Amino acid sequence: MGLTKVSSIVLDMAILAESTVTKAVTSYNDDDNSAKKQIFESSAKLRFLQDEVSELTIELIARFQPVATDLRFIKSCMELAYGFSRFGRYAYDIIMVLEILGPLEHCDKLPVMRMSKLVMEMMALGVAALRTRDNSNLGRIYEMEEMVDVLFRKNLRESSQLIRSNNYSDNRCNISTALILKYLERISDHACYIADSVKYIETGMASPRR
Amino acid sequence: MDNLNNSLNPTVNEEINHLSSIDSNPKHESTSPFTEPEFQEKSDSRFKIENPKLSIQSLKAWFSGKLALKDINLEVKEKQITALIGPSGCGKTTLLRCINRMHDLTPNATADGRVILDDLNIYDKQSDPVLIRRRMGMVFQKPNPFPTMSIFDNVAAGLKLNGVKDKKLIKEIVYDSLQGAALWNEVKNDLDKPGISLSGGQQQRLCIARALAMQPEILLMDEPTSALDPIASSKIEELMTELKKHLTVIIVTHNMQQAARVSDYTAFMYLGELIEFGPTDQIFKNPKKELTERYISGKFG
Repeated sequence: MGLTKVSSIVLDMAILAESTVTKAVTSYNDDDNSAKKQIFESSAKLRFLQDEVSELTIELIARFQPVATDLRFIKSCMELAYGFSRFGRYAYDIIMVLEILGPLEHCDKLPVMRMSKLVMEMMALGVAALRTRDNSNLGRIYEMEEMVDVLFRKNLRESSQLIRSNNYSDNRCNISTALILKYLERISDHACYIADSVKYIETGMASPRR
Repeated sequence: MDNLNNSLNPTVNEEINHLSSIDSNPKHESTSPFTEPEFQEKSDSRFKIENPKLSIQSLKAWFSGKLALKDINLEVKEKQITALIGPSGCGKTTLLRCINRMHDLTPNATADGRVILDDLNIYDKQSDPVLIRRRMGMVFQKPNPFPTMSIFDNVAAGLKLNGVKDKKLIKEIVYDSLQGAALWNEVKNDLDKPGISLSGGQQQRLCIARALAMQPEILLMDEPTSALDPIASSKIEELMTELKKHLTVIIVTHNMQQAARVSDYTAFMYLGELIEFGPTDQIFKNPKKELTERYISGKFG
């Protein structure tokens, strides 16, 4: 019963985390920060749920001393809950960029949107794998994470050149792009950790450190 | 992917080109962690111990013609603790009693196979069961000190029965054994008191001291803490980890957490068969057999 409850909270977190990141990216694209309060509340809720998962898993370990798949599931739930709470935090960071540096309607949003498409697909794959306990698509997440890293480095270098050529004057677009790309890159890392956790539940094999 | 290939930095373009096949051609090469053999390992391969202290080979045991152990093959590593787990009636205790030929003492009980202790097959016709039992001490579920004997005499009994007459030597061994069983500090001033005057946990450690006095190479423990409270059980568990510095321990236990805590290797038995054997860490974190997983998770048994 305890395992079912933890599982249910983690899956709720997955849905909330995914929608919160989507909302933040859409807000950036639409140059509309009216969802800031909602994103902040979702981020806070994810943090609260992470604490709840942490408490519940500790209680399950203390009371039932689980082993094998149950133990691996509990360990993974801790990791997953942390990952989803980070999604919320980065979503909030993204909307804060818009709040502090916006309006950004004149900025080229393609780099962010291009990367966000990849990252959101990674999140969706991770959440689907968690829900179905199906490892078959996890390899795709790792491959996409490599692409995200490449895109991040590429765009950072380009931003650096643009800032220089812009004589260090109005660089709100470049700074906001660089910051959001960094948050997306972190989300992509956490999507990989989610994949690692799903894999660990099923196989008992820890993934090598990236 | 072409639209990505517009970096000002040629190195980045190379990176992009390198990755550009990802969208169209998913990789199925061994670079993916999911295709590594280790992730697919749920094989039936039998776990092997190198240079085992004890090797059980094709062991079968019967009670009144009824098969109780079915072709057991198991190796026990020296100076390590091996736990035998499994539901009641699965053959754990029978296996333990076969190891030191105590099974022979049960009316209508027979056994067949090989149990190799170092180089000696204890089921050879020439093997002397008494000598074998001297090399393998046994501790039972319920503490069973000799009721009429003092603490000292309980420990000395085996030595005297085996013809040791040197009182100084007997005293030395008794003191050493009581220390080895972590009982010395509690009884050193009461050695003349009856063994049964001790608490349950102390009586069990007295029985361990009695076994240690014969300087066994292997200590067989049949649910040694099942009749004890948590504090006394904890002392026995601590003692076991001390004992393994000098001897090999095989323990039968129904307590999964105890097996997980104290043992180095775990063997899971079911209906007279050895289902899975391996390092305790692996058995409790990632068992290879579904049956093991279900048993240790409390889903049956």
